[in-house]
Formats: sequence, C-alpha cells, structure tokens
Amino acid sequence: MSVLTRVPRRRRRGALTPYLFLAPGLLLFAAFRLYPLLDGLRLSFTNARLGRTQYAWVGLANYERLLEDTRFHASLWNTAFYTVASTLPVLAIPLALAIALNRGVALRTWLRSAFFFPFTLSVVTVGLTWLWLLDPVVGPFNYYLRSLGFPVRSWLADPSTAMWTIILTTVWWVAGYYLVIYLAGLQDIPRELYEAAAIDGATGWRSFWAITLPLLRPVLLFVFVTHIIGSFQIFGQVFILTQGGPGDATRTAVQHLYETAFQNFFHFGSASAMAWVLFAVIVGFSLLQFRVLRGHTEY
Amino acid sequence: MVVLAGLWLAPALWVVVTSLKPTPDIIRTPPEWIPWPATLEHYHEVLLSSSRTARIGRAFLNSAIVSVGAAVIVVFTSAMAAYPLARMRFPGRDLIFALLVGSLMIPGAVVLVPQYVLTQRLGWLSTYQGLIVPEAALTFAFGVFLLRQFFLTMPGELEDAARIDGANAWDIFLRIVLPLSQPVLGALAIFSFRSAWNDFLWPLIAVNRPEMFPLPVALAMLRGAYSSESYGPIMAGAALSALPLLLVFLVANRRIVEGVRLGGVKG
Repeated sequence: MSVLTRVPRRRRRGALTPYLFLAPGLLLFAAFRLYPLLDGLRLSFTNARLGRTQYAWVGLANYERLLEDTRFHASLWNTAFYTVASTLPVLAIPLALAIALNRGVALRTWLRSAFFFPFTLSVVTVGLTWLWLLDPVVGPFNYYLRSLGFPVRSWLADPSTAMWTIILTTVWWVAGYYLVIYLAGLQDIPRELYEAAAIDGATGWRSFWAITLPLLRPVLLFVFVTHIIGSFQIFGQVFILTQGGPGDATRTAVQHLYETAFQNFFHFGSASAMAWVLFAVIVGFSLLQFRVLRGHTEY
Repeated sequence: MVVLAGLWLAPALWVVVTSLKPTPDIIRTPPEWIPWPATLEHYHEVLLSSSRTARIGRAFLNSAIVSVGAAVIVVFTSAMAAYPLARMRFPGRDLIFALLVGSLMIPGAVVLVPQYVLTQRLGWLSTYQGLIVPEAALTFAFGVFLLRQFFLTMPGELEDAARIDGANAWDIFLRIVLPLSQPVLGALAIFSFRSAWNDFLWPLIAVNRPEMFPLPVALAMLRGAYSSESYGPIMAGAALSALPLLLVFLVANRRIVEGVRLGGVKG
C-alpha cells in the first residue's frame, strides 16, 4: 500500500490518465459481461424466442413455469448431486498427489507435468477419449477390469454409474491444475514447522492435521470455490459422454438451458429465467461458504 | 508415484496409439499398445477429407485465429487496466476493482442467451470477432486480477526516476512496466490462449457455418459424422487438437506453473 500513497496527485492535468488506461478493458467488460447479465434478467420476464424480433412482457410467467418443469428440477438435482459428489475427490486426490510430490520425489517436475497434461485438453477431447476407453464392448477399460476379475458394465449407459463415470473423467481432467496450486501452497509452508513438530514427536498424520491442513486453508478455500462455481455449470462432459442420458440421469442445468434456448424450444425468456435461478443458487451458495468459512480462517 | 503418473497418461497415450492403427486393428482385443503396422490414414482423412463435417484442418486454423486474437486483446486490455489499479490513486478505483473481482463469480452460462442476442444484433454470428471478443471479455477480469497482483510487487524507484525525467504515465507503462512484466504477461497469454482454444459452449451456439467451427465444435461434429466403430479418425482429430497446447506446455512449463501459482495462491 505504501507504493500507492507515494504517487503524487497534485497536478490536475493527469486526473484523467487512470480512466484512459481503464477505458478499453472496461468497455469490453461492460458490453460483453455486465450488459448481458442485466439483459438476461430483462429477457427472463419476456416471451422472447430465437429469431423473433418482437416480444412481450410476461411478468413472472417464465419463473412460474419453472416451478412445474420437472425436467428442470431433475437437472438441478443432478447438478447438485454432481457438485456434492465430485467435491471430495476433486479436493482430496490432487492434495494427496501434491503432498506425495512435495516430499521431494525424483523426477518431480516430470511427474507434475504428467498429471497436469490432461488439463491442457479441451472438454471435447477429454470426453471423446473416455468415450473410447469406456466403450462397453471393445474399450480397454472394461477389458482390463474383466481380466482383473472385476464386474464390467456399460458405465455410461447405466443410470446408477453414469454420473460417477462423468465425475471420474472430470477428476482426470482437472486434478493436475489443482495439484499445481496445492504444490505452490505447500511450498509456502516453512519447513521449520515440520522439523519442530518432529522434535515434539508429531509426524505423518498428526503433522498433516496440525500443520498442513490449517496452513493450507486459504488454498483449499480457493480450490473449493473454483470447483463449486465450475461444477454448477457442468455441460461439456455430459454433452459428449451421455447427452444427459440414460433417461435424464445425467441431465444438468446448463444442458437443460442450452436445449431450451438453442435446440428444442428456442425459448430465450424461459432459458434466461433458468440462468437467473442458477445464478441465484451460485451466489447464495458462495455467500454461505464465505460466512461459514470466514469464522474459521483465523488462528 | 511413477506408476500412477503412467496410469494418468495412459488414456492420452491410448488416443495416440489408436489414431495410428489401421481400422481393423483398432477394436481388436486384447488392447495392443504398440500401433504396428502404423498408418497415417486417419490423419490424412480428417485433415484433407472432402466431407464438410470432417474438415479438421480448417477448424485448426479457425481455433488458432480466435485463440491468438483473444490472447492479444486480453493481454493488452488487462495490462492497461491493471496498471492504474495497482499504481495510481483515483476516485472509484476500489469500486472498479471490486466489480471486476466480483464478476469472476458470474458463471459464463448465465450470460449465454443475452450474449447470443447481442452478438446476433451486431451481425457477428459465425464470425471471428463474434468468437474473439466475448472470449476476451470473459478472461479480462481474471487478467486484471493476475496482473495487478504482479504490478503491486514492483519496486517504485524506476517509475519515480522516469517521472522526474519527465516521462508521462503512458511512457512509463510502455517502457518500464511492460518490459519488467514479461513473464507474467506470458503466463496470461498462455492462459487466455488455452481458455479460448478449449472453449466449447460459446462457439457451439455462436457459429452455425461448418467452415467457421473451431476445433472443439468440429471434433464434436466429427463424432456424429462417423459410426461409433470408427474411432480412428476421431482419435486422430483429438490428438491433433491437443498438439499446440502440448507444445506450448513443453516449452513454457515453468511459466504456466508460475501463472497458476500467482492466479490461485497469491489471491
């Protein structure tokens, strides 16, 4: 902060300068982020459709219809299930990997790169890769499971495993990204703390609970929030792997929104109402998280 | 650990192996991990095939134009915006910064429909600018956040010296701040290139002419164009789409890690 206060602000001539620097970016931001956000709210109270230039104000009709739209309810429920069920693996697996790598294993950079690599792929590439691996008849996944004596099935066609399979592919995709974040966080923890703990006889799990986890809390919070916001918007994996099937077992909120607006009904008003419901859920959830977690971040 | 890392890479390796096998060998069990005899027929097919849906070559070019365009815009607008936010005092500064950071919470899916309406009204559907500008707007706030973190840590002496020599803010920005920030600007460029290269949902709706499809959309269409047994061409397309970022990643590994670190941890 001292850097900021040192800048002299006596001359009138330079008063516009900061705004000129900000102008191009803020213009971009206002036109393509802020305006669409508010315009979406407006559209959600209309009967706008794709390709129709005139539309009317319909009040809360779109929101009322959502109350009766059972497929929307199912998609919200699936999104919530995915979000909750994927959180533990997405938080814990990269953390375990990061702690193992942080012990100073040989080839650390190479191993980190190996885990990070899937994150450089697009969701479509990830989806197609797993579609082929999981092919129920000729895919290698089932072949190796069978030869190890495990039961096999059509993982993506079975309603009881489809969502878990999508979670598996997501973990494979994003784990390396969170691993890198965790590693950076772990490296900021002073070694002396572990040495002191070791002298007191605390090693392994005890030092993990007493040192690593508390000091990593800001990083964990970041990973948690990032993952939750991303999870509420899951679309690509589902679009490629299951199209929401079998039945509606993996239909998600964004997929339902996409189909309502651009595939089946071209109903922009209704889709905008869904978007705002989803937005409200995310905002509510974020506020709740900060309230719950804020109380615990001071030690 | 090494075994686990190997397992982690196995799916990606399997894609490459599959793409190099002649069609009859692909579905043979047990799985063969050495593609011998190898063939490039699938690459030839997806790159040069005349079928409209299966033209990955053009999609590759589209993706390159869009991703480079978005990265250039993001780096310049974010750097220009982050500089006064980090190094100047003016009314509204904290409010603007809070607005930008808060917007990181806005899910992209929420603005999907109105952004489509806007893009349509501008006549930008199925155009490069219709992909580049929204992509850049999406990453801009993150870029400001990342660069501001970095600008805050720069020592003020060089700026002070330049100011005494009569340099104005623009000179200082161009001649001192930008050159000193090359690593973090590089990290941001890679980050925004990656997010534009891999984005799927926006191009899926904003482009309806096949010759304008970027790679992820073209790949998704490729899947529909072949029967499910034809994994060869699909996997060749998947491998090709991964190539540019793999190269960037191999060359700039440390820079990417540093960027992730700055964006994630220092926040």
